[in-house]
Formats: sequence, structure tokens, C-alpha cells
Amino acid sequence: MSNVDLTVEICGMSGDGTIAAGGFLNAAVAKAGFSVMAFDSYPAEIRGFGRCVTRCRIGDEEMLALSDKTHVLISLDDEQSQSRLSGLAESATVIFDNKPPSMVPEGASLAAHVEAGTNLVGIPFRDLAAQAAGSTRGRNIVALGGFAALFEMPPEYFHEVITKKFQAKGASILEGNLRCFDAGYNYSKEKYADRIADTLSSENGNGNPDRILQSGNIAIGEGAIDAGVRLYFGYPITPATPIMEYLAKALPEKGGKLLQMEDEISSIGAVLGSFYAGTRAMTATSGPGFALMTELITHGVMAEIPAVIINTQRGGPATGLPTKTEQSDLQAAVWGGPGDSARIVLAAANVPECYTYTIKCFQLAEKYQTPVIVLTDFFLNNRVETMAPISISEEEKADWNIYPDKEDQNNFHRYRITESGISPRPKPGMEGYSYTATGLEHSEKGGPDYTPENHMAMNSKRHRKIEGALNDMPVPEEYFVEDNLDLGVISWGSTFGAALEAVQKARSNGIKVGALKIASIYPFHADLIRSFMEKCGNILIPELNYEGQLAGLIGHLYDKDVIKLNQTTGVPIYPVEIYQKINEIMSR
Amino acid sequence: MAEKHFIVIGNGPAGKEAAFTLRERDPESRITVISKGRASSYTPHLLPDLVAGKIQEEDLYGCSLNSYAENDIKLRCCQEVVDLNLLKNEVVLEHKEVLSFDGLIIAVGGTPRIPENLLAYKDLMYTLKTLEDAKIWVKKLQQSESVLIIGGDLTSLVLTKALIHLNKKVSFILNEDAFWPLRYDDDLFKEAAQRLTDKGIKVLYDRNIKKIEQLQDGTNKVQVDDQVLQVGMVGAFFGLVPDIGFLAHSGLRIDRGILVDKHLNVGVENIYAAGDCAQIYHPDIKDYWISIGYENARMLGRTAALNLNCGCREEEVKPESIFEVQGININTTWWTEF
Amino acid sequence: MKTSGKVLAAQVAKIKDSDVFSIRSENLPTWCPGCGYFGIHQGINNAIQRMNIPHHKVVTVSGIGCAGRYSFFANTYGLHTVHGRTLPVSTGVKLANPELTVFAVGGDGDGLAIGGAHLPHIARRDINVNYILFDNSIYGLTKGQPSPSSPPGFTTKVSPAGSTEQPLNATLLALSYGATFVARLFAGDPEGITAALIEGIKHPGFAFFHVYTSCVTFDKQFKTWDHLKKWVHPLPENYDSSNHAQSIAHVLEDDYSMGILYRKQDS
Repeated sequence: MSNVDLTVEICGMSGDGTIAAGGFLNAAVAKAGFSVMAFDSYPAEIRGFGRCVTRCRIGDEEMLALSDKTHVLISLDDEQSQSRLSGLAESATVIFDNKPPSMVPEGASLAAHVEAGTNLVGIPFRDLAAQAAGSTRGRNIVALGGFAALFEMPPEYFHEVITKKFQAKGASILEGNLRCFDAGYNYSKEKYADRIADTLSSENGNGNPDRILQSGNIAIGEGAIDAGVRLYFGYPITPATPIMEYLAKALPEKGGKLLQMEDEISSIGAVLGSFYAGTRAMTATSGPGFALMTELITHGVMAEIPAVIINTQRGGPATGLPTKTEQSDLQAAVWGGPGDSARIVLAAANVPECYTYTIKCFQLAEKYQTPVIVLTDFFLNNRVETMAPISISEEEKADWNIYPDKEDQNNFHRYRITESGISPRPKPGMEGYSYTATGLEHSEKGGPDYTPENHMAMNSKRHRKIEGALNDMPVPEEYFVEDNLDLGVISWGSTFGAALEAVQKARSNGIKVGALKIASIYPFHADLIRSFMEKCGNILIPELNYEGQLAGLIGHLYDKDVIKLNQTTGVPIYPVEIYQKINEIMSR
Repeated sequence: MAEKHFIVIGNGPAGKEAAFTLRERDPESRITVISKGRASSYTPHLLPDLVAGKIQEEDLYGCSLNSYAENDIKLRCCQEVVDLNLLKNEVVLEHKEVLSFDGLIIAVGGTPRIPENLLAYKDLMYTLKTLEDAKIWVKKLQQSESVLIIGGDLTSLVLTKALIHLNKKVSFILNEDAFWPLRYDDDLFKEAAQRLTDKGIKVLYDRNIKKIEQLQDGTNKVQVDDQVLQVGMVGAFFGLVPDIGFLAHSGLRIDRGILVDKHLNVGVENIYAAGDCAQIYHPDIKDYWISIGYENARMLGRTAALNLNCGCREEEVKPESIFEVQGININTTWWTEF
Repeated sequence: MKTSGKVLAAQVAKIKDSDVFSIRSENLPTWCPGCGYFGIHQGINNAIQRMNIPHHKVVTVSGIGCAGRYSFFANTYGLHTVHGRTLPVSTGVKLANPELTVFAVGGDGDGLAIGGAHLPHIARRDINVNYILFDNSIYGLTKGQPSPSSPPGFTTKVSPAGSTEQPLNATLLALSYGATFVARLFAGDPEGITAALIEGIKHPGFAFFHVYTSCVTFDKQFKTWDHLKKWVHPLPENYDSSNHAQSIAHVLEDDYSMGILYRKQDS
């Protein structure tokens, strides 16, 4: 079991430097060798207005999920922070500015609202910042200093991240910020000497500072670059835009290009055009944009053109909840669009998988000549977590296109029916293989052909190809599997981490429960899933959608009804919520 | 008419008792307790037992935090009053929040007193007033085999018992003004010394400490007159100074504590003081005394609350029991056991 | 039957061997006899042949509709996309491999209705794609409905009392959107099409070719051959195709002048 499990929340108004402070905290704690999972939430609709909250869970083991309870609340704005008090763990610490600019009436201070028993720590953020740097702007940094001292976090890690951030802005700004940090640190260390806990002391860090702090968004962006993507076509949409922002900078450095298109239809259209012409391209979107793409995705299926689409799911349907997290596009990803249009769908469950699956999907798209969709979600894309750097082999980055042989020249059958369903695909510019890729049903040579035999044969070819792709797709990952489990928990995407943590906790309480992570959403490993299910007395499928979309896809593999846990609160599911469900099932 | 708001400053035995008594007598009023401490009200006289490992932390608490909520008493922990405005009936908290009141009971505790000549060695001497202090003793004692106690107040004698229980080697420098602001009388002083010696404790009388220094191995070298003692830990026990600095500009009459009449009233309507911080007028001796001890503090808190609630009802005040706090009376609670 | 098949094959072989038609694929056009698209097809083929562009370095991206079928009939690489999306798809093709000569081909329904949102953006991005709009002012493949370029009063099965909507002027739109090369052409004049295409293909940015053509099967009222032949005429002799404002003014006045209406000078 882990010894350190501390969730720190910083809350303020836009302009208080809340998110920036969270960034420093995450980076410093990671440098100190702790594991981190952090997630910001702010009203993305209107920047400069409203509450900002950043939450950082710090531990000495790999972080699987966020925690439902906050152990430390750092308030940069008392009014905004009041509503966060209900999420505090017992005996939590609340750090607040105890020297507001003027006297306040009873009830206007955060202190009036904290539960008795809370470790209320007053630090004059503004006053100390003003003394240290001449303005109250550095109050967020003062707060971090105060926090660091209370938990014996060595100050040098914060010094390092503050220096990295501010050194380009000149010595006086950098030094001012460092003084702000030290002012908070020294104040806290002296005044609250009797309340210092060694939670984040250097002895408790697990000494693995080589890990990097990465968000799902950047992991996807880096995965795209490392996979050799040279064209990105996208349309702004929350929460996928940060991927586009990252690539707008990174692609030109690699000689690539990013176009902001006029809509998502154009984006996927251009991606298909690019793959058709032999260049790796990508687009990323969310539910509403994905819905617009579905016709062209099926065009990719029919014409056998690769494409890569990241769908960062948000709350739906329609415009839905743009800044909230959900896993409700599974059905759209798997089935969306006209006809029998099987395509490949993967789901990443954590930040490292955002990177590896982004690379993986280019291999799958090219080898199986089909659009590949990677499902992520708002939470996964926007959270940051510590991860070990991943190195990718040359093979994984290789050109996976299968080009026609010499003997096919001048008598080329682009859609030749083969056992695997895969038929070689040339790039325009290759002489003697001209063909027309079409969304009409077509003959082996590519001309329109609506005959009954042909449509049957071609449907079969396309589906054989997708089924065959399963050989190259990630197999379900089993955890704690043994014969005669009382319960098996199957989950996918960012919910899986919470499920696994809940399973670990249940096992430590003697419950015989195992877990299965499904990354290959379509096609899926029916045999492996079934053999897991057969070992389980019950199957629980938690997911962040109302309808139970994964349950709907794989539930029929079980000989009883699967038990669903569906949550559409817009926030990530917490391990405790799944744990409670496990207990409820076990007590039936 | 708006509900009455009573504020109690302090959540020690006196403050807690005052607040619950107020609630008992007046179900409607709003009651706020302001406490510097983080935890629920605990019984400080049991802290030596915690150090001795005889009890657990939870055994210290007289009541749970929940019981405050259940009694609709708003407990503000980790908060400190920095000013009292008698004209507006307001208290100002350290974080600049201003609370107005209809009635106020000041029941702040005290801070361990370090005599001036020893202030230079403050950081090398340990006191035992709060739960945090007790935890430090527990931690520190794991590495220390011997302890030197300087002073000799009530707490130190009980702590000594705990240290003996833990098989620590204890030496004692008994100082006659340890019981500040009370003093041992000669007989008691001698008896205390005798009893300590009987327990196998090395007792030094009225010696002057010239120097304390920490050695590299963490032990302390204490120069006492011409003698040098080497001990693992040094404890300083010279009574308490009431934490009433925040009243300096209030206009209240202050001596070593807050001067109150026999009804515990500070001389301003609806403001009372109780516990360690109250210096109570004794009509018979025509002078002020300070009460000591857990039971007395509780009783004072209750008396203050009753008087605040019901007006100055003399029959509620039991001066004779208040004055039972003198050294002799305290003996009954610990001396015989010791 | 067998004999006539052989005869047909021989004819096809002959056509394929001839200089002008060597770019044709083995899929023979499915257009109705007399369709204006044959003329456009010939015009495009001539341009590719005369510029000696290797056929395997040409990609024809087409939409849905009679014009969409075009990509099957050329022995180039073809990408027959969904309805209305030729322009974004051809953007992807061109950026993926700038060495390719890319044609986007589609009808007036494909380009001005369902795909109408794309013309402004390919124009302002100035992607080096040659977009040939086959404008017969009718939906032919779905058997005759009014299109965005049909005139008021146009009667079809879905507008029995006559269309009441105003037509779009694709040439004017392209000019307004900032297209850097705009030509208006007539399907009845393949040589004119070829001449303009040769200039447009050489043009380094987006080139727009608005081709007036006739649907002989479903349009007996508006863009009939008789009408078109009567209406179309060359540009005025002193016409300055480098002047953007004058081009727009001219197009507002004259719907039927044929030729290169605008070519951005420095591009």
C-alpha cells in the first residue's frame, strides 16, 4: 500500500494564477520523485471570468485515478473556495490568505465556513508578495511556499520550476517570484512549526525524477509527431483544440503543415485526401465534430483509405457539456454512419496510452487501409500525470502501406479480393497503377459494381480485413485473474484507472475480484473477454455514459446480465464510487 | 429581534464548559467558540499520560467535534482573536474577520512561561501545554534516556511520574517560583523535594542555570552553578502566562490575568473571563488570585456562562470552591498518588 | 452481341490510341448522349495531353452527381468522394504531394449547395487545385430538380409552379472569395476549355473554372444548347483580366462572357 496519498486543490478566480500555481506544484512534486495525477477545471466558455480549480493527487505509487477527497485546499479566493469545502477529507488542511485588503464582516472569510477540526492555516499571501516583489501578483507563489513548508517539501524543487518558468522574463521578475516563494515558505515554517508533516519530505519521494509530467493532449501531439504525421487538419472544438495548438507549433518544425479547416467535414476530407496521396495526416475532434465526420469515415471504409481520428469525448448529445468529461461516443465511433462500415476503434486509458495508441493507429490505418478512431476524453486529455519516457522502435514508426507488385502493373486490381481482405494500395505518382478510389460499391478494379455477388463479396472482404486487424491490436489486460472470482470489473478509457484502484481496495478487504481493461473497442477480442467473464460470478461494467455503451457492445458474451454502473455527472468517476458498487454487489 | 450571539474565546476546559452551559441555558442563541487549537476540546491534565503511553490520543477528548455541531455551537478552530472593541461589542480575528457579540466569555489559556534568564535557551527546552507538545515529547523521548526538569509546576510533577513509568532517568531542579504566579510555601516545597527524592530522582534546589548547549550527539550539556549535567532532554516548567496580549488595547483591566470580580465579570456588561486567564478578586483577602487545575477551570467556565446568561446571580457563584484552587487543594488530586 | 462487343472494343482501342483520347480509362462515360460533359471531358484531356503531364501524376477528385462520375472515365488516379467534399479532399491530396496535378470536379449541386461552404476557404487558402465546376443548373442524376444556379420560374417535379429562388453566380462568388484565377467557359467549346485549363494549371494557386453546360435529358427550359449557343460570347477585346474590381463589375453586368476573367498578377 502507498504511504503517501495527498490530494491538493488550488481554487481561485481567473487572474489569481490558480492554474499556473497548479502547474508549478505538479512539476515540483514530480521532480521530487512523487507520482502525480492532476486535473484542472475552469469554465472554458469564458476565460477571465469564473472559478478555476486545479487538483493534484500526489503519491508514492503510480496514480490510477483522482481521489474524491481533498486533503489540502489552497484558497486564492475565499468566495470561490467556499463551495470546495464540502469535498475536503477529514482533518484536511486549508491554506488561505489571512490578511485580506480590508476588514470583512462575519461570514465573508473562508475561516467562517471551514469545519471544526480542519487544519486552518492563515498565510498573508498578498502582504508577503507585496513585501517580497512589490506587487500582490506573486500571491499564488507565496501560497505554494507556505504549502511546501507545511509538508516538508524541499524548496529547491519549486525553485527549479519557478526558475524555468520565469528566467526568460528577466532577473528581477525571476528573483521576485523566488522571494515570494521563500517568504511563504519561511512564514509557514516558523509560524506553523508545530503543524508540519513530513508527507512530502525527500525521504518519502520514491526517487524516480526521470519520469516526465505529461498531459493526454501533449502525449497525443507528440505521438503524432513521432509517428511521422506531416499534415493536420482540424476545426476548433473543446476539448480537442489543445492538440491542434501543440501541433501548430510542432509540425512546422518538422516541415509539416497544419490547416484550420472550415468544419470537421473538411478536416476528415483532407485527412482522407492526404492518406490517399500517401502522407500521414490526422485530425482530432469531439462528439459534435465527430458526428459531422461520420459520412466521410464510412467513405474511408468503403474506398479503403486510411485515416486517423482522435475523438476526445465530452458530455453529449448535441452540443451537450463541452467542458465536462464523458464516455458516450463509443457507439458513434463504432457504428456511426451509413451501412456496414466496420472500422477500427481504440480507447486510451491513461496518458502513456495516448502516446502509444496515437502511434499504433497509423500502423493499423495503413496496414488495414481503414479509418482508425482513438477514443479519449476530456479528463484524460486535460489531466497531467507522471510517466516514464517511452521509446518507439523504428518498426513501429515504419511505413505500413502495402504497395502493389511489379506484376500488377498496367493490369491493376485495386480491390482484389484476398483471403485477408487486404489488397495492395499504390500512391498517386506510381506509374501503371492508376485507379479510382470510390465510395460507391465497386468491382476489384474499382469501377462501380452493384451486382449482388459483388456487394456480398466486397462486404466480406472489408470485414475480413477489420477482423484480421485484431491480431495487431492491444489484447485485453487482465488484473488479479484467478479461477472462481466473485466479481469481474471490465472497463475502458479513463474510467479504468478508477476501476482498478477500486478493485485493489476491494481485494485488500478480502473480496475476490479481478479487472479487465479493454483497449480494442472494435474489433474486440471476444474469446479473451468471454474467457475472463467465465471465471467471474458477476460482471460489473462501470463507464461514464447513461446507456452502458461498452456493456451494450460486449455484454452478450456473458451468460447472465452484466451489472452496469453508469454515471453522467460530467466529472471523472472516483475509485470510491466503484468500490461502493463492488461492496453493494457482494452484499446481495 | 435578532437572536443573541455569544462568543467564547478559548476551547480549553473553561471555554468548552462555558459554551455548553450557555447552550444548556439558552437553546435559541447563536454561540461561537473561537479556538487557537485544531482539535476538539481535550483534557490537558491527561497529556502526561499520553506521553507515558498509558492512553491514546482519542482518550484525551472530553467530547467529539460532532457534539459541538449537535449542540449548534459553531466551533472555529485554528483561529485567533487579535482585538476586542468594547464600544462596538466586536472581536477582530487574526484574518481580519469582525464578529459582533451580545455576550463574551474570555477563556483563553496560557503559554508556558520561560523565566527571562533562560530565554536564551528557549529552543533547547521543551514544555508541555498542548497536544502538539505532547507529541513532540513522545517523539523526542524515543531517542532520550535521561531528562532534566527545570522548575516544578503541577504539570512537571505529573510528567515526572510518566517519565519514571517510561524508565527514564529524571533529574530535577526544583525552583521555588515554579508555581508562578503562586508560590510553594516552605513546607510544601520540602515535601515535594522529599517525595521526588524517594522516587529515586536526583533533586537540586534553587540552583542557577548558567548555560545549556546541545552536543553533536543531540544530548544537552547543562551547566548548573559549578556542576555539569549531561541529559537527553530538558523540560522547562514555570507555570503559564495567560494569552491575553490581544486585550492590551481593549481597555480591560489586566494584571497578570484579566481582573474579574467574584462573579467573573470583567467590569463591562456581558463580558466575563474564566480559566487560566482570569485573575479573580477574593473579597475576604481583598486581593486577586489565579485558579489552577482542570476541574477548577471547568467550574469557572460554567459559572461565567451562568452569570452571562442569567445576570449577576450571586448564588450561582461559589467563591469557596473557586478558592479551593490553592496549592493545598490541588494536592488531593495528584499528591497522594504521587 | 459478341460481334458488336468486339466492334466496340476495337473502337475503344482506336480511341485510346488516338492522341486526344489516350487519357480515357476503360470505363466509358455513362453520360446521356448529347451531354455537355463530353465536351468538358475532351477539354480537360486535351490540356493534360498538350502539357505532357504524366497521367499517373494527375489526381482527379470528384464529387457526387453526373459530373462526379468523371473520375472513373480518366486514366489518371481518381478519388470519387462523397457528395460536396471535393475541395477539402483535394486540399489534402495536394498538400500531401505537391508534385501531383490535382483536379477537383463536380456539378453545381455538389459545389454550390451541399459543398457550398468549401469554395470560400480553398479560395482564400489559395491551394493549388484546379476546380472545374460543371454547371448545368440542374440535379441530373436524381432526375431533374432545381439547383442553386437554376433561375426563378424553373419548373421541375419538385418545383411544379416554378422555382422562386434567385440563382447563385459561381463566377461572382469565386471572384468575391478571392480566387486568384477565375475562368468562365462553355462546354460547347472544348478548345476554349483546354486553353483556359493550360493557363490555370500553370497558375500556382487555386484556379476556378466555371463551365456552362447543358443537361439534354432534364432541362428543356433554361441551359439548352440552343439557348447557350445564343447567349455565350467572348470577353470584350479590351478586357483586362488583371483587374479584380473590373472583373467583378463585368461579371455583375454580363452573365455569358467566356474566357479568363481574372488572374492575379503577382501570383
